[in-house]
Amino acid sequence: MNDRQFSIGNCQLSIVNLFPLIVSLVLYASVVQAAPLERLPIIQKAPDFDLVDQSGKAVRLTDFKGKVMLVSFIFTTCNGTCPATTSRMAKIQEHLHKRGLLEKGVRLVSISLDPARDTPEVLRGYMRLYEADSSSWSFLTGPPDKVAKAISAWGMWAKPAANGQLDHPSRIFLVDSRGQIREIYNLEFLRVPWVTEDVELLLKEKN
Amino acid sequence: MSLKTRFVLPATLLGIVALSAVHAETCLSPFVKRLDRPEKVLYVYCVDADAKDNDFVAVIDVEKGSKTYGKITYQLDLGSKGNETHHFGFTDDRTHIWGMSLFSNRVFIIDVASDPAKPKLVKTIEDFGKKAGFASPHSPYALPGRMLISFLSAADGKLPTGLAIFRNDGAFIEKLTMPDDAPYGYDVAIRPDLNRMVTSSFTYFNNYKKPLAKMDFKKFGNDVLIWDYRMRKVHSKLKVGGAPLECRWSLKPKNNHGFTNCALDNSIWVWEGDKDDKYTARKLCDTGKMPADLRQSPDDRYLFVSCFMSDEIQQWDVSDLKKPKLVSTLKPGVQPNMMHVTGDGKRIYVTNSLLSTTDRSNDFWVKLAHITPEGMKLDESFHVDLTRFRTGPARGHDMLLN
Repeated sequence: MNDRQFSIGNCQLSIVNLFPLIVSLVLYASVVQAAPLERLPIIQKAPDFDLVDQSGKAVRLTDFKGKVMLVSFIFTTCNGTCPATTSRMAKIQEHLHKRGLLEKGVRLVSISLDPARDTPEVLRGYMRLYEADSSSWSFLTGPPDKVAKAISAWGMWAKPAANGQLDHPSRIFLVDSRGQIREIYNLEFLRVPWVTEDVELLLKEKN
Repeated sequence: MSLKTRFVLPATLLGIVALSAVHAETCLSPFVKRLDRPEKVLYVYCVDADAKDNDFVAVIDVEKGSKTYGKITYQLDLGSKGNETHHFGFTDDRTHIWGMSLFSNRVFIIDVASDPAKPKLVKTIEDFGKKAGFASPHSPYALPGRMLISFLSAADGKLPTGLAIFRNDGAFIEKLTMPDDAPYGYDVAIRPDLNRMVTSSFTYFNNYKKPLAKMDFKKFGNDVLIWDYRMRKVHSKLKVGGAPLECRWSLKPKNNHGFTNCALDNSIWVWEGDKDDKYTARKLCDTGKMPADLRQSPDDRYLFVSCFMSDEIQQWDVSDLKKPKLVSTLKPGVQPNMMHVTGDGKRIYVTNSLLSTTDRSNDFWVKLAHITPEGMKLDESFHVDLTRFRTGPARGHDMLLN
């Protein structure tokens, strides 16, 4: 046996014979390395909601089944983190569109924390302000009890603050095409390149 | 001019400015909501000193002008004893505190939103870390909607240890095991803007459970790891002095450096990243004996280091990393350990217990010092005695303000 051969049990093998096996192993290793679970583990199942969008149409989470979603909680009269969050999401929408990713199955959703003020009409005005494209971005509101149920189910909360505003956590949820929360950003982490990278990963996983 | 330019941009900037303006509280996860007012209560995480009674959280009134200022106004019984309650931390929305324990592996989830003056225990998680294969939960560090926990041990009390992420309701999500050549753990801190996380290294349960004189000092770590946070991968391994404990990133966005107190090397080290994303570490200054805690001033100028074995707190000016300057020293009493700087940077609270296996005094207290232009000055009128509880003395360790 020359030095380019080795044996497993009684079986003698050469590098040439092993070439297809080596290629397969390398390919397998690259697939395993690219597996998304390490990067974006499943946090939990995304809770359902039963709300209406900016045009007054009834919307449930299941209506977006099969899509990668970015879900924020905001209110239109907020002067804290909401304007920056919505503005950042508008940039993300634009960037995903330019990269051709938006059309591959991405939906942006913003749920109002203040349904008494944020009627569908008010939400339409807010969308115009941010030049939000309604073909891939829904702003949701509804009866206060249904909105409260959705807010609570997502682990969010909103309560009156001393300055007359609503106090609330800054969390933006990334949901995969199977309806599972895979990342939670706050405003500081909601960066266009990072979210794009994560969305791309979930789109690849979907396919 | 478009609607976006007229209304959205100013509002967005206002939001970002508002967000940064309240970032004055230091040494908390950057994801924790900051207080927008002076503190009203101080929570002290207490170990029953002889481990015969339940551990608890003491609530101290620290609202200036209050009739009960400087007094313990409430005690939250944690329902079990012998936990070695040690570090605790807020969730991102500041509604709950997660309390870690070094001997029992219990984690206590405490509601501090319903009534901040009377916190409520809402959940006790037994065998915390079991699903991740780790034990001895040490630092709770808030992420958006989750908690990142650094552990000191593997499940068998040995090594390697690691980090794990949990939902805010306590459910396990993912784990990160320390590398074979740097298997120790202690603290964790993230700089979101740099996408960098740093971890430090102490020792593991089977060693620290022994009395100080019997601990094996060769079995302590001396690594600081810089991680790519989003990829969850180690980026750089840096050798520092023995037992690097607290991890404190510089608070200024333009800076890519941070500090750690090396307890067995009597020193503070600095890690620094350069423009090529290469990290190095070097000793910044020698301190008093056994630097146990490290805190920052909100303006990023000062470090406060408690020196457990030389009974002092040192204030270092680190505005010039090439010439760190010792600007004041405080002698608050025996074995000062944990500290907490107020959001306005004007006061610092101090406790004096490290671990029940290492304390050398039974005189436990909470004291207050004022941080003045002339340095730290002890407030003689503020002295909370932690030795006169119905259950006897308690070792006060970590503190949080609310």
